[in-house]
Amino acid sequence: MAMVQPESVRYRRWAAHAVLIGFLALIIFPLLMIIAISFRTGNYSVGELIPSNPTLDHWKLALGMSIEDANGRIVPPPFPVLLWLWNSVKVAVITAVLIVCLSTTCAYAFARLYFAGRSLLLKAMLIFQMFPAVLALVAYYALFSRISDYFPPIGLNTHPGLIFAYLGGIALHVWTIKGYFETIDKSLEESATLDGASPWQAFRLILLPLSVPILAVVFILAFITAITEYPVASILLQDESKLTLAVGSQYYLNPQEYKWGDFAAAAVLSGFPITIVFLLAQRWLVGGLTAGGVKG
Amino acid sequence: MSADVRTEHLVKNYNPGVARDVLRDINLDIKEGAFTVFVGPSGCGKSTLLRAIAGLDDITSGDLYIGGKRMNDVPPVDRGVGMVFQSYALYPHMTVRENLAFGLKIKKADRKTIKERVAQASDMLGLDPFLERKPKALSGGQRQRVAIGRALVQHPAVFLLDEPLSNLDAALRVKTRIELAKMHRSRGSTTIYVTHDQVEAMTLADNIVVLSPLAEGATTNLEQYGSPLALYHKPANRFVAGFIGSPKMNFLKGMLEQIGDSKSRIKLDTGLSIDAAVDSSGARPGDKVEVGIRPEHTVMLDSPRADNKITGTVQVAEHLGSESFVYMDVGGKDFTVKVRPETPADMGSQFDIGVPADACYLFDAEGHAFPRTGQFSPGD
Repeated sequence: MAMVQPESVRYRRWAAHAVLIGFLALIIFPLLMIIAISFRTGNYSVGELIPSNPTLDHWKLALGMSIEDANGRIVPPPFPVLLWLWNSVKVAVITAVLIVCLSTTCAYAFARLYFAGRSLLLKAMLIFQMFPAVLALVAYYALFSRISDYFPPIGLNTHPGLIFAYLGGIALHVWTIKGYFETIDKSLEESATLDGASPWQAFRLILLPLSVPILAVVFILAFITAITEYPVASILLQDESKLTLAVGSQYYLNPQEYKWGDFAAAAVLSGFPITIVFLLAQRWLVGGLTAGGVKG
Repeated sequence: MSADVRTEHLVKNYNPGVARDVLRDINLDIKEGAFTVFVGPSGCGKSTLLRAIAGLDDITSGDLYIGGKRMNDVPPVDRGVGMVFQSYALYPHMTVRENLAFGLKIKKADRKTIKERVAQASDMLGLDPFLERKPKALSGGQRQRVAIGRALVQHPAVFLLDEPLSNLDAALRVKTRIELAKMHRSRGSTTIYVTHDQVEAMTLADNIVVLSPLAEGATTNLEQYGSPLALYHKPANRFVAGFIGSPKMNFLKGMLEQIGDSKSRIKLDTGLSIDAAVDSSGARPGDKVEVGIRPEHTVMLDSPRADNKITGTVQVAEHLGSESFVYMDVGGKDFTVKVRPETPADMGSQFDIGVPADACYLFDAEGHAFPRTGQFSPGD
């Protein structure tokens, strides 16, 4: 690896490092600011980056503990932040699992089966996905309010209803997985068929195990999208106890009083599940799974 | 554990009514236990025919029988065939043992049978040291053997191989070829083997099926079906004659000068006349024909068997030690001859070679062969 390089390349390498470090700082700075705000006394958005008088009050409130204010009064936590977090994680995990199931089976059909209108459907799905969901908010509301009339369990103000709405966004994932399936040699499944496997067995025992990395990617993407999603959740969910953290944390910011400190603590909290899921999923993000199977 | 394979008027078209047939009117009768090789240039449909027999591609029309049973609509797993794919198609996430056992597990064979059969195949193919490895930790030759083993454990009645040696290097190819021949002899199951390499075809086959890319208006693309030597000595047409044999047969255009039922005389476009031991009694003098001469069927001019003389200019001479090839230009046509080792042939010089009458093949304007009345063999 240690290739001999001319002087100019070394200078360029230093320059590249400088640019990258600057870029990283740019990305990390806002995160550090939010963490700083969450430990700063008072609910202000501006102040010191390293709080001179750090407090855990915002975190205590976020974690559902009462605090004692300057006048010695006990202040109960205003919002059920942990419940919101739990709601978010629940909705996001179920959504991600269902999206992975739906999009893999769908991608399998598009990648391996031949049926009329296949390419038209694929393109149509992609094009519909290009309209932001926000544009359809009214439609979402109208649809789910109508569903509530007939089948309340997946209607307005329910988590299943929200998950149901999120499942609409699989087109990109279908494309991603389809692209990956197409890199896997078809003869593997043909061979499994000759070995006696049904199409379902060939899919589950051969194709799926080889697709784990892309499934992990789709799971992470779907999870992040669901946990950070605001517009649709804010329209479909109404009870305070059912809100997701992304929607609920906005309650700290009402026009009368912007509670930046409490909001910051809740915001940092919402980053944890994403980090955990990413760390867990990372071990599946491995390359070379299909190596050695086919040659030529 | 063996079965015969029969096709009747088999046609395959991937997009009937739009695309041209890939296979047309294929009639084969492959005897139980025979080693049959499908050979032909790329695009001739040989792999398609194999896949149709395996059931991976359906048959557009005609019938397929395996072991006397009509198989057109029988799914691959119930046809009693085992197949080795060109790409090996090993399951990359399974160990060699799991690869071998996969089919039996799917069929819910009991554990003892699975263990026995895997052990048997692994022993036969020398896979014991690699059973717990994954395919990526194997060399090309080892992967190849796993692929063969995976088909073997199923005890197929018909063993299908799709260009199994094409991914191996030259030395390994020869070794595996011999192993395959031995394996066939010991197991005796019907084997169908696809290759574009006519040396593999000649060395392995009991019978060869020569296929060609379907020409416009042709009734079939099955050119000839017969034993290797029959194809070599009595090719049905110019296509088979040109395909079988290495280096390729030389062709010289001309017209019939004198017809006869045991000897004919042809006037070549180069001006020379040639005597050929063929029965041209069905044709008329003046008909356009083509003479075929194999590079290895030429003799030195001083030989008593040098009935005809061909003269050309040397372009390249290859001296391989055991033999020499001289590539000549004869009246603007390439002409290759195999001569005694170290025969002097300077580039650009004139080179004369003798051609016995019984070494000549003759084809009419449509490419059909005239019956040969003699058969040259270099040893005589």
